[in-house]
Formats: sequence, structure tokens, C-alpha cells
Amino acid sequence: MPLLGRRLRQLVLGALLGTVAAHVCAAPASAAPSLEYAVKANYLYKFAPFVEWPPRLFAQPTTPLSICVVGEDPFGGALDDAVRGQTFNGRPIIVRRLAAVEPGSPCNVLFVNRPTGQSPAEALKAVAGEPVLTVTDGGRGGDVGIIQFVMEDGHVRFDIDEAAARASGLSISSKLLSLAVSHRRTGA
Amino acid sequence: MTSSGRRGATGVVFAASAVLFAAQAYATQAIADQQPDLSKLSIEELGDVQVTSVSKRPEALGQAASSIYVITHDEIARSGQTRIPEILRLAPNLEVYQVGASQYVITARGFSGAQQAQNFSNKLLVMIDGRSVYTPLYSGVYWDMQDVPVQDIERIEVISGPGATLWGANAVNGVINIITRKSSDTQGAYAEASAGNLESRIALRYGGKLSDTLSYRVYAQAYRDGDTQTAGGASSQDRWSQAQGGFRLDWTPSPADLLTLQGDAESGEEAQVQAPAERVDGENLTARWTHSGTDGSTLQLQTYFDRSVRGGEVDGSGFSVNTFDVELQRGFSLGDRNAVLWGGGFRSSRYVIDGTPTLQFAPQNGVLTLGDAFAQDTLTLTRALKLTLGVKVEDDPYAGVSVLPDIRVSWMVGDHATVWAAVSQAVRSPTPFDRDVVEYLGPQRFLIGGPDFETEKLTAYEAGTRLQPSSRLSLSVSAFYNVYDDLRSIELAPAGFLPLQWGNGMDGRTYGFEAWGELELTSWWRLSPSMTYLQEKFTFKPGSSGLLGTPEAADDPKYQASLKSSMDIGKTWGRAWLLDLQLRYVSDLPDPHVPSYVELNGRLAWSLSDRLTLALTGRNLLHERHVEYEQGAYIPRSVLAVIQCRF
Repeated sequence: MPLLGRRLRQLVLGALLGTVAAHVCAAPASAAPSLEYAVKANYLYKFAPFVEWPPRLFAQPTTPLSICVVGEDPFGGALDDAVRGQTFNGRPIIVRRLAAVEPGSPCNVLFVNRPTGQSPAEALKAVAGEPVLTVTDGGRGGDVGIIQFVMEDGHVRFDIDEAAARASGLSISSKLLSLAVSHRRTGA
Repeated sequence: MTSSGRRGATGVVFAASAVLFAAQAYATQAIADQQPDLSKLSIEELGDVQVTSVSKRPEALGQAASSIYVITHDEIARSGQTRIPEILRLAPNLEVYQVGASQYVITARGFSGAQQAQNFSNKLLVMIDGRSVYTPLYSGVYWDMQDVPVQDIERIEVISGPGATLWGANAVNGVINIITRKSSDTQGAYAEASAGNLESRIALRYGGKLSDTLSYRVYAQAYRDGDTQTAGGASSQDRWSQAQGGFRLDWTPSPADLLTLQGDAESGEEAQVQAPAERVDGENLTARWTHSGTDGSTLQLQTYFDRSVRGGEVDGSGFSVNTFDVELQRGFSLGDRNAVLWGGGFRSSRYVIDGTPTLQFAPQNGVLTLGDAFAQDTLTLTRALKLTLGVKVEDDPYAGVSVLPDIRVSWMVGDHATVWAAVSQAVRSPTPFDRDVVEYLGPQRFLIGGPDFETEKLTAYEAGTRLQPSSRLSLSVSAFYNVYDDLRSIELAPAGFLPLQWGNGMDGRTYGFEAWGELELTSWWRLSPSMTYLQEKFTFKPGSSGLLGTPEAADDPKYQASLKSSMDIGKTWGRAWLLDLQLRYVSDLPDPHVPSYVELNGRLAWSLSDRLTLALTGRNLLHERHVEYEQGAYIPRSVLAVIQCRF
């Protein structure tokens, strides 16, 4: 017991130092992402041309394509790098980072990754029926978006839930469907 | 001994740094021209970029042709368990027995051992971030020396069945692969403190960045666990405490390269009945370079140093093992259909054993060297059908060369089912305990190592299926038929009776199945049932003494079952309460008899904010105390209050 008591005191001191260090060193630095996430980041904006969006979404010629990341951002700057200088049908592409989504959130492509304020299923539910291309990463059960990234032999591939896309008022091109590892035509 | 060990460790640090710098120089040189501009790739080409860090199991979990269960970070965090053996109870394809406060026996598909025959569970390969941690002295695992900061674990892959071809030596009945998060995924400060009727723990971690491409974390933790009980209700006097610290440094000089340097040091003290405490100490340092080429090729070079020391202070008995290991793996595609993986490694373990008057080793020190080379080809016959052929050649320190083939096939039936089958061989190599042990009964030599003790051999036949009939339901079923040859047995002296010696006088057949599923009942409630069934039949070969009967081989339950429940209560009105429960049933152990038991672990957690979580964790809640293993301690109920902060 005295031994542990001594250790505890040392560790509490360590915690205080850690706190100070955390505040001193808190300058945000974007990490170099893994190649995996660099590829996923590029997919996110490259999906858009293969989706038939309701015309009302892009009524103005300058309306940007909005890619939202809800929850932790696993891209570490790779998404911003990927979309920099890219356009979608001549429109700019912007990246938004959200803690949680709600119906009406200004997102065209929504990447759901461990939202802090809600569960992935809730984030997906919040935009269900809206023309939002939801993308998930390794989700399971009800946490799967219209497009789900899967790893296959060390490559980033994806599944497409065509029924969910249709329910959202989106039509996925047959070319994209043919690239999917699997796609579901009817809801499961 | 200690100072030479330190010198050794310093040498390894220098060697590792040199390897790191050499690798980096090569990597920047080689990669500068190949760095892909992903934005220029078409959507088809994106899918052809090889991205995984080299793993020996690159395929998607759904297609793996083996019985694999993955304990995720989330499952670990929600279980509230902080020690590796207790976390491993989450894997349905393992047997986990708590034997004492710090002592555990863990195995897969039988062979939990038999104390009276000195047969200790020894057919598992356990790795922490690519570092093999089973002891070369007897092929078992000192679970009290394998702590990992749980908040930094990415996942634990648990494979039941042989994995010898690819995973390395001793992967006979299973492989446990503990993988920690990259330091870039563990940024910021984390602190956890807990206290309860039996144990208390404190853990701290800080992760930061030195530059855009260089991230790190450091951690420290201390743990204290109280006494278990004897059958009579007295204290077993096996309380223990342990402190551990470590770091991990990850450098990505380019998106295709990852260089990792990581290390840990731990020191613990375990009380003993009527004797001074036993000290357990360990240090390790690992350097790893992983490169992913744009052509889909992969390269991994890894080296590590690991030192384990145990000792009682009163009689001077104990041991030290210093292991140095280097391995290389290369993967590439050959045409459209072949994915080739090859590699090899070399390991050297220098050991010193200080025996007791009744337990000695001759020789008491030495160097064990282990070399291996392997190659595997995964042949994509059709999009749905894959055939994997592999072979490994292993040169172990005592018995020489073994050739271990492995054939696996997996077939995706539609979108929602995978069927797989495999035939493979694996061996457990002789160790100093098999060859060199000398035990005394008074002045009489009682048991000695078998001078001709050979490898224990397994040929395993397995088949299984994974189904996902709906997005809310998944199932996995695996069946196996294992044929063992040359299992260790106790034999008589060639002329006379004593000393007894180890021989290879037993054969065995085991069969059974493992099944588990996951059902998402609602968006806030998930249930995961599982069950295992095991039959073991052992026979002595002609000429064997059959001295202790076939129970000397194993003492395993026929059935195990578990039901996990994971709930987010009250999600609709704010922050949810997380309630996670695991009920487990283990049928009785036949001989020596240990009664069946049912127990419950659980955690109730509430997040006050993104930074602060309060939790209550309980272990073995159903009974005041229970026993899990032959001559094992009675384990009291444990309840723990936990506070976790992130800032």
C-alpha cells in the first residue's frame, strides 16, 4: 500500500505536467494521413459525378458541392488537400466538419465517422430521405451508409446500397455500381 | 547480469536507430519518384492503390479462411476490462481461466494443461504489435508480464486453429495478435483512475506531434490487485502490483511509408505464501518500417529486443530471457490472379535460469535460435473463389527443420455468405523445459527432460462459414478436426523407474465447433451470443508408460457459452448511459474435476461531457467467489469505480 501511495503521488504529478503540456502544445498540426485515408479522401469527391443529384440542389451555378465529415476527422488534412483546386461540374468543392448532423444540414456528401454527439446510426437517420450521399467506413449493422468503404486485399473498395440511394432520391450511375464490390438492390 | 542486460538494451537502441535511419534514407530515395498524385487517378485507379500496412492477413474479415474473432477498440472500452486476460474473455473462441490474482491460463481448442503432470498450456502464439511474447523456456505465456495500455489498443485479432505458416512459431492451437493504435490516433491527454474492493489502477497517456509527419505518445500506468482466496476462505496471499510505462513514435516521411519505434518497461511485485514477493520485470523495444508501393507491393522490416526477468528474492531462483528478433515480409501481385507474400525471420533468445534445489535445468543457460522462411500465394480463381497455398520452413533450436504446409480456400456465396475450408500443419518445438529440466525429490532425480524429445505435431482440418443474412444480423460458425502426434507424455527411465523423463508417447484427436453471432435488436441494443463445443480423445502409443493416464494431456470444458449485451440507454434524451454485460458459462472440467460455473462481468458508464466519463465496472458479479481451474484460487467478486478524463 505505501508503495502504491507513492506511485499514485508521482503519477498525479505526472498528470499535472501532462495537462500543462497539453495546453502548451495544443497548436493544431495536421498529421500526414495514411495512404488509405488519402485514397478515401479522393473517393469522396470523385463519387459525386457518378450520382444523379436532384436539380434543385445545384440551382445556382456557383452552389458548391459540400462534403461533410461528421465526428472525428480521420483524414488529417488529406481531404482538404484532395479537394484543393478540384471542381465538380465547374462548382467549387468545400469541406465542412460537424460534430453532429441534423435534417437540413448543408451536406451533399456526408462521411460519418464516430460522431461525438450522436451515434453513426443516428447521424445516418438524421439525413435519411434527404438527397445526401452518406459514406461510412467499416460500419456494421445499421451504421452503414449508401456507400461503405471496405478493404479488399489491401485496396480501398466500396459497397453500394442502391435501395438506400433511391430512398434518398439519388440515382447512382451504372458505372459506379459496376465498380462496387457488392451492391444491394433491395433494402435488407 | 543486470548491468550487462542494460548494456545490451542500449546496444539495441543504437542498432534500432541505425536501422531506422538506414531504412529512412532508402525509403525517401525510393519513394520520391513514386509518390502517386491521387487526384489524377480515375475512380477505377483509386481502387487499385494498395494501401494496407503490411499485415499477414490483408483480406477483408468477411473473407478470411480461418476462425477469427476481432475484439475491437470499442468493445474493449465498453467492457471496462483493463487487463489483457480479462479482455480476452470477450473472444468466443478462447478458453480463459483465472488461476490466481495475477495468474491466468489461456488456450484455444483445448489443451488447458494439467498441473499434476506439469503440463502447462503451451500451444498459443501471442503477439503485441508484432512482438512474440510466449516464453521460449516452455512455450507458455506469462500473462502477468503482458500488460498493454488498453485505451491505446486498436484491436485484438484472435484466431483459433493453426496459423503456423504465416504467423510464426508456436501458432498451433491459436494466435492472439494485439495491435495498438498509431500515435497519430492517440493524440491529447488521457487520464484514468479507478478503485474498488479488490483492485485499483491509474493510467495516463499523452500524445502529441513533433512535426506534421512525426507523432508520438507516452504513457504510464500502475495497477494493484488484492488477494484471492483459498478453498477454506483464507487469503491466498497472491496480491500484486505492477507499474509500466512506454512510448510510441510514428513517422510517415511519405504516405507510402511508416516508421515506428516503440517500447515499454514494466516492473511488478507478486506476493507469495510464506516467502518474499516475486519480482517480474520486462523491457522491450521495437523498430518497424512498412512501405506500400503504388504497384500494390508491400514491404515490412521489423526488429525487436525483449527482456523478461522473474525472480524470488529468498532462494535466488528465477530466470532472465533476452530475445532479439528480426523479420522481413514482402508482398506483391503476380499477374491479375496471384497475390504473393514471402518472408523470413531470425530470433535469438539468450537465457539464464537460476534453479531451486528441487527444480533445475542442465544446462542452466544457453542461446535458443529460431529461423524461418515462408511463402504464400493467394490465387483468385474467380471473383468469389480464392485459393491460398502456403508453406513455411522452420528451424528450431532442438529438433531441427520442420516443413509446414497450409492450404485454404474461401468462396463467397452471393453477397451475404462466405464458406471456407483449410488443411494445415503446425508444430510446438521442444524447449528447455522439455529437454533440459532436472527435478529432484530429495537427493533422487525424479523427472528429467527427454534427451530425444521431439516436436509435438498437429494436422488440422477446418471448415467454416460467415453469414450476414441482414444488416442487423451476422453469424460465424467454424468446425475443426485436429490430429495430434507425438504429444508430450511422462515416461519411465530406460532401465528402471526413476528418473521419469519427458517423451512423445501420446496421440490425440480433438474435434468441435465455435459459433458466434451478433444481433442488432434496435439502434441502441446489441446482443452477441456464442458457444463452443470440444471433444478430446487421447491415446498412448505402444511402449508408452501411460503413467498418469490420458488426463495428463488436457482438462477442458466440453461446452462454453457467452451472451454479451451492449446498450445505449436513453440516447434520445441526451447523453446515453452505456450498459455492457457479459454472461459466461463454462461447463465442468472433467479430470481433475472443477465444477461448471456461470459468471457475469459488466460496466455502466455515463459521460458527463466529451471529456469526462464515470463508470462502474464489475467482475464475477454473480457469486461471492468462484473457482475456474484445477487447484486454482477462489476469485472474489470485484467492483470498481472508474473516472476517465480526456483533455
